[in-house]
Amino acid sequence: MTREIGAVVLGLAVAALALREALGLPIGTVRNPGEGFFPLWLAVLLVALSLLLLGHALRARAAAGARGDTRIGQVIGLVAALAVYTAMLEWIGYPIATFLLVLYMVKVTHPQRWLLALAVSLLAAGGSYLLFAVWLKVPLPPGSWRS
Amino acid sequence: MEILSLLGSGFAIALTPANLFYCFVGSLVGTAIGVLPGLGPPATIALLLPVTYGIPATSAVILLAGIFYGAMYGGSTTSILLNIPGEAASVVTCLDGYQMARQGRAGAALAVAAVGSFIAGTIGVVGLMLLAPPLASFALKFGAPENAALLILGLLMVGYLGGASMTKGLMMAVVGLLLGSVGLDPIQGTPRFTYGIFKLSEGFDFVLVAMGLFGIGEVLDNVEQTEEPEVITTKIGGLLATREEWKAAAAPMSRGSLLGFIIGVLPGGGAIISSFLSYALEKRFSRHPERFGKGAIEGVAAPEAANNGAASSSFIPLLTLGIPGNASIALIFAALLIHGIRPGPLLVAQQPQLFWGLIASMYIGNVMLLVLNLPLIRVWVRLLQVPYGLLAPFIIVFVLVGAYTVNNSAFDVGVAVAFGLVGYVLRKLHFEPAPLVLAMILGPQLEASVRRALIFSRGDVFIFFERPIAAVLMTLAVLMLLSPLARWALSRKFWEIVGPVRTEK
Repeated sequence: MTREIGAVVLGLAVAALALREALGLPIGTVRNPGEGFFPLWLAVLLVALSLLLLGHALRARAAAGARGDTRIGQVIGLVAALAVYTAMLEWIGYPIATFLLVLYMVKVTHPQRWLLALAVSLLAAGGSYLLFAVWLKVPLPPGSWRS
Repeated sequence: MEILSLLGSGFAIALTPANLFYCFVGSLVGTAIGVLPGLGPPATIALLLPVTYGIPATSAVILLAGIFYGAMYGGSTTSILLNIPGEAASVVTCLDGYQMARQGRAGAALAVAAVGSFIAGTIGVVGLMLLAPPLASFALKFGAPENAALLILGLLMVGYLGGASMTKGLMMAVVGLLLGSVGLDPIQGTPRFTYGIFKLSEGFDFVLVAMGLFGIGEVLDNVEQTEEPEVITTKIGGLLATREEWKAAAAPMSRGSLLGFIIGVLPGGGAIISSFLSYALEKRFSRHPERFGKGAIEGVAAPEAANNGAASSSFIPLLTLGIPGNASIALIFAALLIHGIRPGPLLVAQQPQLFWGLIASMYIGNVMLLVLNLPLIRVWVRLLQVPYGLLAPFIIVFVLVGAYTVNNSAFDVGVAVAFGLVGYVLRKLHFEPAPLVLAMILGPQLEASVRRALIFSRGDVFIFFERPIAAVLMTLAVLMLLSPLARWALSRKFWEIVGPVRTEK
């Protein structure tokens, strides 16, 4: 039930965003549709579908059992780690940033023994750097702090 | 006999050492990710897309196609041995496959699954080869109204067949269309939804969206599942099924192949639905339906054949109409676009080396997969002993490098991460990401077709119902919209036949 309401809210939010954008563009006419024509109708359709889903949800009233949501903190943590990684990537460079990210994943998200964790982090960061940057010549950022 | 010479030229392309190598790598990787639960074909294809930038288009498609149909082979292994479907398309295989394993007939079940997959895959390629060229030349007659009608019908089918809830499937399709409209509009070139961010004026890069939704999204979703799958090293037993077992499996295999082929052609149909349907069908028409769920070999043969038949035939709408029917095929569509090839009715005529090379490689790939799957089964089971926690970092690293290489920019990595979060939230709310990516890739085409048709007809919306081909397609679309009631009735019955299924990954 709460899950369905969440889906409805998400649908309406996206529709509102689209409506705001579409109404700022020339809609045109059916004879000569403008740039806002398509997004406008899509937004209307999305509102209609969201309301339909709301109707379903209110009628079904089934209490959906939440499945293991206990590790939600880990998900948020990993997303935060990925965001930090993205922000720091060009500055600290690919090898170090990736090493730290993988270390976070194997020590915090899916905890492993230290030795194994360090080995995996080294392998993932070093191995991928060798494979992509050295062998395949992909210009991965080396880190701007070094220059 | 023209077809034989064309096929011959296809084999000449597919048998070059480089292409044989890509076909082999595709089959190998496909089997591996088919075996591993928690990593699906769309995610893998998204991960490997950047690798294909530097190789010729034909090789790229051979590689990616191999991953897609290879996963159908590998998926059965874990279903049978561990009662955990490696792929969604192998969920029903658990029902009887695992029971067979518990009765010490795992080897027979694996052999039947592999041979059934091989037969269906090969039949599917024959069908693809025979049907695609005439369908493509028919589709050449399509103008803007027909194109629009076809795309609308296709998107409706994806929403309709793609998941548990049609409303949610359609919501995803609409959101996908909106995402597809980010950037310059296809007719006037006015920026939309760019919020002054210059990088958005080219729209969201489909590859980044797919990598985020499927790659990072799946990893985030799996973070919550703490339990590692229990690896039971059951005795696999003799790999050879008895003569009676082959006899019992032969007819279900051929029915499954045929059904899979037909369902696979439909957008949104594909491997998952065809495997469920063929299982239900076998149970329905069996003289001993009570044996199903207790280790009936028919219950392994039919769905495993069906998902492979569907995997082959889902290339038909891509190569003839330019409509990808599922997420994996959409990614192959994207790979072709990156190489400057627009899949559509002109592809068979303009890129014969690609079309026939792909067909020939699929014949070869199916043989390779049979060889990879039968004797190497023990190796694949070993793969399951790698804990997910050690696998996840490598998936993430591949996504991040891949995202960076699209334009060599950290901004793109951020886009992929953001869509990873979106993918996670969508999964939590029980939305299927597949209709979203399909709609996103088809959106600009749909908008341009609708607007052109309307300009051409001077605003007469009946243009979509007046020209015969468009009228037929639109009528089908309307019928489909009006049919949720029938579907509800059907699905109730359908689930009664199939019985309870473990659906978690």
